[in-house]
Amino acid sequence: MFTTDTTATDIELDLDAALNPGEVEGLYRDSRECAYLALLAGGGALLLSPPTPRPKKG
Amino acid sequence: MTTTATQDRPGPESRPGRGRTPGAARAVLPGVLRTALGWTDAHRTRFALPDDVLDPRTQVNGTLKPLGELAQLGSTIRCTTAPGTPEHELAGDLVAYAWEQVHEGALLLELLRAEPFAAYPYEIYAAFAGYGLRHEGFEALARPLTATRAWAHTEQHANRQLGLVNSERRVGVVTHTDAGGVLSRTWLGGLSEPWMFEGPSGYALTHTVFHLTDWGRMPDRVPEKIDGYLRTWLPAWADGCLESGQWDLTGELLAVAASLPGPAPVELLDAVWPVLADVQHPTGCVPETGAPVQDPAPDPYPFIDCYHSTLVTAFAAALSLRSLHGNGERGETGGDVPGRERHTP
Amino acid sequence: MDQTHATSPLAGAVHDLATEVVLALRSGDHLATVCGAAGIDEENRTGIAAARVIGADLLLPSVLYGRHPHPGDVAVLDRAVREFPPKPDAPAATAWSHWHMISTLQRMAPPAPGTTAPAPGAYAEPDAAWLEEAPWQAFTHQLSVLAPLAVPAAPSAVQRAAANRAVDLSRGFVRAVRRRDWLQAAGAGRWLAAIGGEPATLGLERGLDFVELMGGDDPRVSLHVRAARLMAEARAR
Repeated sequence: MFTTDTTATDIELDLDAALNPGEVEGLYRDSRECAYLALLAGGGALLLSPPTPRPKKG
Repeated sequence: MTTTATQDRPGPESRPGRGRTPGAARAVLPGVLRTALGWTDAHRTRFALPDDVLDPRTQVNGTLKPLGELAQLGSTIRCTTAPGTPEHELAGDLVAYAWEQVHEGALLLELLRAEPFAAYPYEIYAAFAGYGLRHEGFEALARPLTATRAWAHTEQHANRQLGLVNSERRVGVVTHTDAGGVLSRTWLGGLSEPWMFEGPSGYALTHTVFHLTDWGRMPDRVPEKIDGYLRTWLPAWADGCLESGQWDLTGELLAVAASLPGPAPVELLDAVWPVLADVQHPTGCVPETGAPVQDPAPDPYPFIDCYHSTLVTAFAAALSLRSLHGNGERGETGGDVPGRERHTP
Repeated sequence: MDQTHATSPLAGAVHDLATEVVLALRSGDHLATVCGAAGIDEENRTGIAAARVIGADLLLPSVLYGRHPHPGDVAVLDRAVREFPPKPDAPAATAWSHWHMISTLQRMAPPAPGTTAPAPGAYAEPDAAWLEEAPWQAFTHQLSVLAPLAVPAAPSAVQRAAANRAVDLSRGFVRAVRRRDWLQAAGAGRWLAAIGGEPATLGLERGLDFVELMGGDDPRVSLHVRAARLMAEARAR
């Protein structure tokens, strides 16, 4: 009654999706370490500490 | 460090950690512990110290750090498992192997003579001392150094200072400061807003608990407030680690969960352990991060990319089994759980 | 995640409508019609569909400030209820948001005397057992979708489920922030503000400030955060 059938169907599909959205993709990013003003960049060993950061493989 | 979109998230389940099958942790834990320790045993020579370990140009993070971790985590596994079990024997073997590598402490004394004002030789030594393996000469040189004002004012992160306090306790000297005061300066001790959790604060948190509890051996040292805080928020943090493939941190969080006083956090253990068990390679190793390799051939990851997470997995598995046994499988099952953080009025 | 840029006419209309609700919440008065400001009337099918998405939040400024809703907004909401009823196989969340639109209309704009009242039981609450059994992650996601039900004095089985699982919702809030899913975090935070009972260490107030600043490009994020603040202020009084 408002518009063409095609558009109406599109709206119904969009509406169903909008009413029951799935979860968006999680985005994870950790803070980086910046040695700015640090006296001991990469100083002594951190015994029993987290794994040593290494460049990620492609 | 890592940016991970969950579309690429590895793992066999589309939503890891979602469901919870009662008894799921108990079902996978013995195998996880056995194979992780087996991998470590099969790769023990990779922990061997090179001849030039005392050379100032040698990277300690690739030599002394892994060996110290082998000693530390191996000794907790030894203390946590029942005498006579293969895991108990193997863990003891691994600690003995590490002690041989440091020439029964003589090499650590040499290290201390080379770098007398560094803290890490003392921390590595303490890993052995806590197990009863001691070297008189090392302690004789360390004694005056650790009694100095400078030692007491070593500048470092609060969680690491807690590690020094724990090292002092293990060696048996008077601690340079009160552990409670240091604890209150940590991210965890400050009961930080849990939505600010990420990798770096996560590792700070797990190490705070490790040092506080002497690597899981003394759960009763966790104050009630922190116990409640951890029981409340660990599930949310572990979920994110699973989704982003941070397996090493997942293992550390499981070790923390299993180091709490009182009932085991059974729901959390049942939800997370099966996922980590699926990530574990058939040979027993666990990658630090990222999509697990599906190839069943041995050594799917470089040693340096999986030794830590594999050790942590074994350590967390041993602690989790103890925690579950200690509770006769009852544990914490939701609802009004004693010890869980009190709510706002 | 950028959830704001209109990818369809409907998404654009939802964006515009949510923006007007936020403006009305911010100004504290509700003189103009939300729908009128967004250019939506009863003859605009995309607009009516957008009203179905925003749901009972169309009247949120009136609900939270205790004012009478604008007749134009009531008419659009009523039209959305009739135009887009849940299909027989619709997910439970769709049935619940529809139910809540009807219930809000009945509360805020009762039918004039003499008009036909709905048959008893016609607007019975949908099932909520699935919510009680859902793992905390899915529970929070679904509750966030149903955030319009998080308003004062609007009891429902969904609201009771939320009140019984405040710790789970709090964990879901933490999880959503870590995933940078600002819309879900805002919805979960709104529920916590409505029902209370979150663990003291959550730091909800600053958490919501953070979520709004990070995700406020999406007016639905601002809508939930502002609703949460108004409810928290009311609770504090």
